Amino acid sequence: MSIATNWFKLKKWKPFAFQKETWKAIAEDKSGLLNSPTGSGKTFAIWFGVLEAYYEKPNTKKNKKQETGLHCLWITPLRALSKEILLATQQVSKDLELDYKIALRTGDTTTAERAKQRKRSPQALITTPESIHILLASKEYDKFFSGLEFIIVDEWHELMGSKRGVQVELALSRLKAINPDLKIWGISATIGNMEEAKEILLTDRMANAVTIKADLEKKIIIETIYPDVVEKYSWVGHLGIKLLPKIIPIIDKSNTTLIFVNVRSQAEIWYQKLLEEAPHLAGQMALHHGSLSEDTRKWVEDNLHNGKLKAVVCTSSLDLGVDFHSVDSVIQIGSPKGIARFMQRAGRSGHHPGAFSKIWFVPTNSLEIIEGSAIRYAIENNLLENRVPYVRSFDVLIQYMVTLAVSDGFTADKLFDEIKSTHCYKSITREEFNWCLDFIVTGGNSLKVYDEYHKVVFIDGLYKVTNRTIAMRHRLSVGTIVSDSMMHVKFMGGKKIGMVEENFISKLKNGDVFWFGGRNLELVLVKDMEARVKASKKNTGIVPAWLGGRLPLSYQLSNSIRKQLDDYKNKDIHNEELKQLAPLLELQNKVSFLPGKNELLIEQFKTREGYHLFVYPFEGRFVHEGMAAILAYRIGLLEPFTFSIAMNDYGFELLSDKKVDMDLILDNNLFSPEFIYDDVLKSMNSIELANRKFRDIATIAGLIFTGYPGHQKKTRHIQASSQLFFKVFEDYEKDNLLLRQAYDEILDFQLEIIRMQNAFNRISQHKVIVTYPEKPTPFSFPILVDTLREKFSNEEIQSRIDKILNSVQKNEV
Amino acid sequence: MKYKYTEINLAGEDFYLLPQKAIYRPRLKQLIISDLHLGKASHFRKQGIAIPIESHLKDIDKLHFLIDSWKPLSVLILGDLFHSDYNKEWLWFKSLLLQYSQIQFILVEGNHDILKDDNYKVPNLLKAEYLIEEDFIFSHHPLKQNNKINFCGHIHPGIKLFGEAKQSVTLPCFYHNKFQFILPAFGHLTGLYQLEREEYASYYLVLQDKVIKL
Repeated sequence: MSIATNWFKLKKWKPFAFQKETWKAIAEDKSGLLNSPTGSGKTFAIWFGVLEAYYEKPNTKKNKKQETGLHCLWITPLRALSKEILLATQQVSKDLELDYKIALRTGDTTTAERAKQRKRSPQALITTPESIHILLASKEYDKFFSGLEFIIVDEWHELMGSKRGVQVELALSRLKAINPDLKIWGISATIGNMEEAKEILLTDRMANAVTIKADLEKKIIIETIYPDVVEKYSWVGHLGIKLLPKIIPIIDKSNTTLIFVNVRSQAEIWYQKLLEEAPHLAGQMALHHGSLSEDTRKWVEDNLHNGKLKAVVCTSSLDLGVDFHSVDSVIQIGSPKGIARFMQRAGRSGHHPGAFSKIWFVPTNSLEIIEGSAIRYAIENNLLENRVPYVRSFDVLIQYMVTLAVSDGFTADKLFDEIKSTHCYKSITREEFNWCLDFIVTGGNSLKVYDEYHKVVFIDGLYKVTNRTIAMRHRLSVGTIVSDSMMHVKFMGGKKIGMVEENFISKLKNGDVFWFGGRNLELVLVKDMEARVKASKKNTGIVPAWLGGRLPLSYQLSNSIRKQLDDYKNKDIHNEELKQLAPLLELQNKVSFLPGKNELLIEQFKTREGYHLFVYPFEGRFVHEGMAAILAYRIGLLEPFTFSIAMNDYGFELLSDKKVDMDLILDNNLFSPEFIYDDVLKSMNSIELANRKFRDIATIAGLIFTGYPGHQKKTRHIQASSQLFFKVFEDYEKDNLLLRQAYDEILDFQLEIIRMQNAFNRISQHKVIVTYPEKPTPFSFPILVDTLREKFSNEEIQSRIDKILNSVQKNEV
Repeated sequence: MKYKYTEINLAGEDFYLLPQKAIYRPRLKQLIISDLHLGKASHFRKQGIAIPIESHLKDIDKLHFLIDSWKPLSVLILGDLFHSDYNKEWLWFKSLLLQYSQIQFILVEGNHDILKDDNYKVPNLLKAEYLIEEDFIFSHHPLKQNNKINFCGHIHPGIKLFGEAKQSVTLPCFYHNKFQFILPAFGHLTGLYQLEREEYASYYLVLQDKVIKL
């Protein structure tokens, strides 16, 4: 351990136990998973293991004092992180005068730099999943990787729940085939399914692998901010801004405060309101979210680093990444939605040894106060969410097949064996694999005559891409992150402000004012996918409502909330949150009922709008959406009804113009957990949902080409919308695997089908309590007010058109 | 098979708007269509993008059906007949031309019609930039003029309808204002351009088996 010992001595530091443990495991040729939070010295835990292996072990190649080639690949999900790791590792080489060279390889790396790296490779490359696949798409990549000994996958918990994780799995399967002795190390924060995360990453290396846990978890202190009076009827957003004056003293007292909100539009609003309320923060406060330009975000991050900012309003864009040492306070506005996410945010503060993380929770409606209690309970009991890995992603497989065909080609049998060894594709059959192969070779054509399909060809026993245009287009399209159609927002002078959804801009007229990036902007003109703007003096502007970003409450957090309600019901009022909520919960109990652990509450009452039926499973909005649709569908089978559906994270509502007989629901066992899968597909407009999902899949699989950078026009003749593909596949290729994948992804991720099934199982064991309150209850009020109202409709397209036409024509008269 | 159409009168002449996204003109026994974009699937496929080719067969079948039903003397195509460079789908169309050798086909050129001239050398196919009659002018792009009614394509017009409770659907339509009559795209592999509703324009929606005025 001479290198590590020397360096730590030089720095006058003492290594942590987990660091020593990791060095030892690496020295014993083990692979492993290092479970460690960010900023805990995890980089050095791995790094010195890698260096020792390089220098200390007798290896024929190294003694020859010649090109040793690439020795270690370090994969990170974030460019900001890769920069930090580069600096830290380069410093080690410099301090100890080692000839071990480290370089970056990301989307930003210049062509010249890439060429240099290929010619004379550094010992280590710090890179992203996409960049590795681009390397796999270059000729003779196997030579380039032939000396590789280590792959480090940083923030694996983050990658694992996305298709980028699938890219990592595929790259590993290929690189292991080139280097059978390759050692794999993952670094992951704590998640619910740690063991699964390890298995997915290490697969056949599990037998000789360890898990090392850095026992450095900081204590998290949660403090809820309460209103002076807890109002009993309160809706989302109603409370949040009201509590704003109470967070200003926190900001004033702290060094630097991060204020986390859940969606970008909320960030814009809070930034604006904070400035109004506390003008003294002007110039010391900033805004950070995913739609702002990279320059702006970098400016904010730099100023966080050097402690020049007092407060930053941000979204999940600052969840991950580099640590900012000046941050000593974190505020969460609104429901944290998940426990791991909340802990990660809390962990952004208090980096000094022995310090704890302090986080304030600001509820946005009265009932949300309960989440302060629930999250504390969940953290104490270590209830962390699982990361659900993608499986059977045919789009990524098709992209990968073409990647290999672009470089040196592949043989079907060997590739099939390799991908079968990954978690993602272990269940695919040879028929499905052949379908993918057929898709890239013949274009899935049933009609051989007339066809001029050209992509991958089979020559000399290998599947290859021979056409240079196709190869180039493929290299430009490698990746699995598909962004919405976004428009650049720029000042007239050309300075970039950020990106806004095209959809939002298309609704504005020239001269309209909108609030973005913390500024009031007037739209001047839209040209070439750019919105040109100028600063406006008007005080009112609309805030872009970005689509998506509306996460449901996690399973673990929902569970904890039900536990808190049960505790209260059993007079176990163990914290301030429950005390504060007492008046609201008492009222709920008085006018309706307060459900305990094994009870499901249903409320029915009538207002001017019609007959309301409220159900409170406390399972998060996605599951509620599916449950509501299934219940509506099942009622519809017994008696014709038309329902409007509304939901939040706690419950859902069915609204109808005639009364639903409760006996109809209870006697016919409409909450039965059977046939959930069939019923949800029949009840939801699954075609439309899948159609939306299909855009990502079609792009990843290479059906949609977004154009050469700067040369959009050249490719116009080969551009079509994903809807067009979806429609044509639905009409002519029902068995298309990409189409089926769209439906599967809807079920797994949009409807959370497994969670929904479990919820139905749970509820079927519950006692159903039905109440008939005279007016809205504290539980139902937030849902009543929520505007998210979807008409439940299950009609065929033609009758739907006729229906819409009728209502349109009625309006015209 | 008889089907529903919607009759309109322009400058004293009758026109039938057909749900197959075409117009029949009884006075001249003429069919008018626009924006077929034939060959689009093959063009995509040649570039390695696997779109099923069968959809274009459907367009050719639809054209056969219209010709057999109305027995026109001529077929007027308002541009974008073929999507891009030559591919074998052109042969489908050529064989249709040969099959109906007694019918005159007229192609008003569109921006997509970039095939080499040789390909258009078929006895019963005429190619023109515009077609001008006493009351009408036929072109691919909508023309800026205010003397005659301009029949044209290019836009692929569609109109978005909103129903109750946030439901909506976008449907292809014929667009008509004082000097312009825009046809919907005939081809199956085409998108829709969503029109803004204008006060002085009429919209004829294309449904599965009928055309109705909005």
